[in-house]
Amino acid sequence: MAIPDLVQGLSAADAAAVLALGRAVELPAGGVLFRLGDPAEAVYLIQHGRISLTLPMQLAGREQDVVAEEYGPGHTLGWSALIPPHRFTLTATAPVATTVLAFRRAALIEFCAANPHVGYALALNIAAVVGQRLQVFQAMWLREMQRAVNNAHA
Amino acid sequence: MEIFLMVLALSLAGVLVSGVLFAAANRDVQPGASPVLVPAAAAGEERFFMMRPAARRVAPAPYVPSDVLALQIERHVRLEQAAAERFHEFPSVEALHMPTLSPLAG
Repeated sequence: MAIPDLVQGLSAADAAAVLALGRAVELPAGGVLFRLGDPAEAVYLIQHGRISLTLPMQLAGREQDVVAEEYGPGHTLGWSALIPPHRFTLTATAPVATTVLAFRRAALIEFCAANPHVGYALALNIAAVVGQRLQVFQAMWLREMQRAVNNAHA
Repeated sequence: MEIFLMVLALSLAGVLVSGVLFAAANRDVQPGASPVLVPAAAAGEERFFMMRPAARRVAPAPYVPSDVLALQIERHVRLEQAAAERFHEFPSVEALHMPTLSPLAG
């Protein structure tokens, strides 16, 4: 596995110390990691498998969760745990058997307070994850808008 | 003399009648006074040997089961996310509008 995005830029010792804070969580195929609206208490790093982030849509008159994003090993998700109001805004499920490392917010904050240089690097890495998602979603949104405009004037 | 006057009067009367008829036949059609056409059949009304134009029929939307639609959306999202991530890595106008093979992107 490539260096996880959460510990990019850290020394091997610091990265190992951060990863040691995580608790492995096994999810069977179809297992739910968290649901939209749940309190966000932990950040997750995918070790093996895949996580689908879904949002509810009305399809043929009934509500159905559809995939909004999907990520594989090395990706961090659940950063709502670090950003108020600490509530998940999507539902995370494992389409295949998946293992994630769960980092509880309290443990991460305590570790970062004791190791400010690691906290600084982690903050930058989380900002990079959030920024990447934001820019990708901006691009996806604009592509959909362009199609809507094209269809309206076709 | 009397016969001459009678022929002259009849000739004048004939010329007048001819002129009136000629003017009536060649008068301009008034704008906005177009004749009202009564349709042979009201819209939607069917008559023997008369078929409605096919273009007026509203084709019903094809039924797509919600599960199939959800799979189409998932595929669409994967392709669109990949395209958006390429744009994120190498931003350009071309990359932003790069088409995908998604059937929902038509």
